[in-house]
Amino acid sequence: MNVKEKLSILADAAKYDASCSSSGSNRNSNSYGIGNACSFGICHSFSSDGRCISLLKILMTNSCIYDCKYCLNRKSNNIKRAIFTPEEICEVTINFYRRNYIEGLFLSSGIVRSPDYTMELMIRTISMLRNKYHFGGYIHAKAIPGASKKLLKDLGNLVDRLSANIELPTENSLKLLAPNKNQSEVSEIMHYVKDNQSRKYVPAGQSTQMIIGASKESDLDIMQKSENMYSNYKLKRVFYSAYIPVNKDSLLPSLEKPPLVRENRLYQADWLIRYYNFKVNDLLSEDNPFFNILIDPKADYALRHLDEFPKEINKCSYYDLLKVPGIGVVTAKRIISSRRNFNIKFDDLKRMGVVIKRAKYFITCDGKYFIGNEFFKKDFIVSNLVLEDKLYETKNVEQLSLFSE
Amino acid sequence: MNKIYIYNGDFVSLLSLIHYLISNNIRPYNIQNNEYFPNLLEEIILVNLDNNEEVIKKIISIIGREIFKTLYYVFLSADEKKEIIIFYFILNGFKYRKSVIYRRDLKCVCETLKISEYVKHEIHKFKGFLRFKELENKVLYAEIEPINDVLFFLSSHFSKRLKNEYWIIKDVKRGILSIYNKKKFIIINEDDFLISTDKLSNEEEQIQELWKLFYKIIGISARKNDRCRINFMPKRYWKYILEVSDER
Ligand code: SF4
Repeated sequence: MNVKEKLSILADAAKYDASCSSSGSNRNSNSYGIGNACSFGICHSFSSDGRCISLLKILMTNSCIYDCKYCLNRKSNNIKRAIFTPEEICEVTINFYRRNYIEGLFLSSGIVRSPDYTMELMIRTISMLRNKYHFGGYIHAKAIPGASKKLLKDLGNLVDRLSANIELPTENSLKLLAPNKNQSEVSEIMHYVKDNQSRKYVPAGQSTQMIIGASKESDLDIMQKSENMYSNYKLKRVFYSAYIPVNKDSLLPSLEKPPLVRENRLYQADWLIRYYNFKVNDLLSEDNPFFNILIDPKADYALRHLDEFPKEINKCSYYDLLKVPGIGVVTAKRIISSRRNFNIKFDDLKRMGVVIKRAKYFITCDGKYFIGNEFFKKDFIVSNLVLEDKLYETKNVEQLSLFSE
Repeated sequence: MNKIYIYNGDFVSLLSLIHYLISNNIRPYNIQNNEYFPNLLEEIILVNLDNNEEVIKKIISIIGREIFKTLYYVFLSADEKKEIIIFYFILNGFKYRKSVIYRRDLKCVCETLKISEYVKHEIHKFKGFLRFKELENKVLYAEIEPINDVLFFLSSHFSKRLKNEYWIIKDVKRGILSIYNKKKFIIINEDDFLISTDKLSNEEEQIQELWKLFYKIIGISARKNDRCRINFMPKRYWKYILEVSDER
């Protein structure tokens, strides 16, 4: 089989993994090497589904001894199998990198023979890329659950980012859908990486992925799992991947379309938790375990807590500013640094990056409302925000950017 | 008559002129480079100034190195009003010193920040969207058509990333080339350096095919979203982006 055929099988098999960011690492090659890594991620292209392409995302092989129900590569599927040699992977990576197609390599793999054997093959490939080809660009590798600590150590010393996929939010779903896997093997990896992370070992930190909609969990279950992993293992990112039916199986839901809006809401909420100081409990509860499909989680929070608003732009704290729909991290910082120097007027806000049409319901400037006081009512605001979101969608404005960290 | 002050076209001479204007308490109607054609209501004024380093040092000592760099980004932009914006920014910089950057109630400050962000954004986009092809002699060659003058910052990015390669980047719109010789890059006029770029290396076509194949496969059809793709990768870049250039 030639490289072209292998690539068409092994890129196809890798594409459902959502993690693609290439940020968080500053690396340089040695004097005769090639490449570096930028702490700001660089997108080199955008695929037909609108996602950022920054890494050559491939599987080493799509052969697998496991039989995860949701996976195209599962043992019981009768599909064409391929395996790249280490040289082939190195050559393609370097050739793509030199032409500035990519930021680096994302290597994952089905499990051949055993977890240890698979990891050894991956290590051989990546070490060839680093030491023989002197590649100093970005590398993200999947750690294989069940492989030995020694191998985890070797792999982590070669790559920028490691990830182990938790796949599903609860052990029960995992047992049902991925009978060969268990959460404790994944948590062990996360523990190890967290304890050893340094400028030399996995410098860009670790991430994980959860599949959304293949099992029964609520958004609350999912977000709680994320919150736990962020705090226990210092994860850089949790990726959410809307379940796409590639196999027929009585244990799997039959979906017409992948739950993309739900996935987007989870990313938005994840963002709020990482950068806006929100807690899962602020956004969801046992009585309200799913996100509102019509309104983004932050606006939804504001509407359920109207008594906390309006916020006074010239006085309220940084974290209060962050609670206002239409004000992001950058804008909130601008407001804080500006108001130390002058008194902010409504006219200044737009130039600072405040999205007025969202924020106007929730703020005052020097005690004055943007809108008439009498409009400070939930129903009025809800209908306006929903209407504007509809316009926003049709008017084709950037959706939440999922790749910029 | 509206007085238009003229500078040489480079950053240093602009700063020297601005310094002269501020010291002499002159408020120009506009500042333009020496290629400018005035209209009937405008009067051209040329001031003979030495470009001296002292002026630059003085400006940096007042507004700080970071803000100075921000002004340089503005200077690289294609904005027609950039000179007069820089003038008013420095004028206010002399008054508010380093905190001038927070004065978002001043129009010149907002404009400066907006334009510099825009230039930085374009530089960042090109770090990803630029595509090299390998010529017969193994030299890597790329063409770009940026709105702003991003060649210097792009070159400094690639001189770190591809430090052991020979490469050339051409700004098609401005007719300038950046040439890198494994040590440093220089930016010159395209007329000063003739290259033939049609003969490619033996492997080139095959690798381009491989990349196009990868690009096609990696998109998930169940998630197809062209609107989103075009938002992030606007069509005006497509001409030079190998994998989408024939989709145009
Ligand atoms: S381990 Fe499971 S998810 Fe991974 S390749 Fe094998 S079958 Fe697919």
